[in-house]
Amino acid sequence: MAGSRVQKVGSVFSRTRDLLRVGLLRQPLWFEVYAACPPRREPRYRLPRPRYGRARDGVAELFYPEDRVRAKFYRVYGSGPRPFDLSQPNYKSTCQRFVEKYNELKEEGKIEEEKLFEETGKALLASGIILQRRGTDKVTQQSHQDAEARDFVLHQQLQSVLEEMQGKKKDVEEQPPELTQKENLVS
Amino acid sequence: NCPFPAYLSRESILGEQQSPSKNNSCVAEQHGRERWLGAFVLLPGADDRLLTEPLSQPDFFNVKELFSLKDLFNARVHLGHKKGCRHRFMEPYIFGCRLDQDIIDLDQTMDHLQLALNFTAHIAYRKGIILFVSRNRQFCHLIESTARECGEYAHTRYWQGGLLTNAPIQFGSGVRLPDLLIFLSSLNNVFEPHVAIRDAAKMNIPTVGVVDTNCNPCLITYPIPGNDDSPTAMELYCKLFKMTIIHAKDYRKQREVFHELQSKAEGEEMPGKGPHVPVSP
Repeated sequence: MAGSRVQKVGSVFSRTRDLLRVGLLRQPLWFEVYAACPPRREPRYRLPRPRYGRARDGVAELFYPEDRVRAKFYRVYGSGPRPFDLSQPNYKSTCQRFVEKYNELKEEGKIEEEKLFEETGKALLASGIILQRRGTDKVTQQSHQDAEARDFVLHQQLQSVLEEMQGKKKDVEEQPPELTQKENLVS
Repeated sequence: NCPFPAYLSRESILGEQQSPSKNNSCVAEQHGRERWLGAFVLLPGADDRLLTEPLSQPDFFNVKELFSLKDLFNARVHLGHKKGCRHRFMEPYIFGCRLDQDIIDLDQTMDHLQLALNFTAHIAYRKGIILFVSRNRQFCHLIESTARECGEYAHTRYWQGGLLTNAPIQFGSGVRLPDLLIFLSSLNNVFEPHVAIRDAAKMNIPTVGVVDTNCNPCLITYPIPGNDDSPTAMELYCKLFKMTIIHAKDYRKQREVFHELQSKAEGEEMPGKGPHVPVSP
């Protein structure tokens, strides 16, 4: 009984079929089953070749129109107040509720585009979900205050240094007469 | 009513000389449809009917009922690796890329899974040897217990070089090789294709395999694009394979009993003729 170990030439089925036709092989168990229900693609060996030129792969990026709202939500509010519980199959996160509310209000059409975001926040607040604004506003305020404070402190320090320098100058001017006075005293 | 082309008929392949072969110690001896009992040949009717009956319909064992798209989604079969790990030949099976993570197309997975389970069922029906292979240490125990429960075999440890290609020397002559290899993870511990895929292709053994987005599906006969890293997904695959194999084997037992009863009834009707008809000179 023969076999064909050239796995790079054809598929398992084509090699077995050809050996059967010649008469070197007895029909294997799986042959009829494969012939009756073949796979979608014949399992031939293929060399993985690199892409050349401007050829791109056919895998699309998945983006949805709701992603704009989601991006803004995460930029403003950070990750929501509640952590994600992925053990439940139909879990709805705070962000998802926000997006759905946003779409509802948008479909109603009574509110303008710019105010939709704030209105959704207010609507969610009304239904009991408290959203805390993230860092962006807080951070800028804080930094502004800090800068002011730092400026003030720096100003104070500079003033004191100036005063010291002025004082030293006066001391230097006054020193020789003082020294002479001291020498006089000592002596 | 034969589903295969004419040139594959038994007469054309083997010719008129059908000599019995005794003591055939060849390595790749597979379970043949002809059983040689000296000068006697079994009535072709019974055996043929037993083996060709399931091939009459495309989904004879009704494997579609075992799973649904919702089950696959809940088991996280659609989650692939990151974009950088993607294998070029997996691109047709990928639905898209969400923030750099590949999402496998579950419609294609359903189709491929149905074909693979159908093939497994037929092999189990014909009393073929099935070998589960995986080098993922996380699911080694699960796969071994699955294989034990359905009465088949598993190899989830280090694969020695000549297990399939050098079998007579490793195991002794006259060993019967597996008729189907099921890969529940087609990569080994260093993220290269498992050696058994290439070896099975060399030994003309069909393979069924779960291919993730970083695997090469070329040489696998019936690939199943899906996640091979999540525990839920692996449990689902093990459950599906176990159910198909057990159902197919039970059905086979049923049909054998039925055919036995039928032949006994025929034997009683015609007391002169036995079930074995001598070959006419």
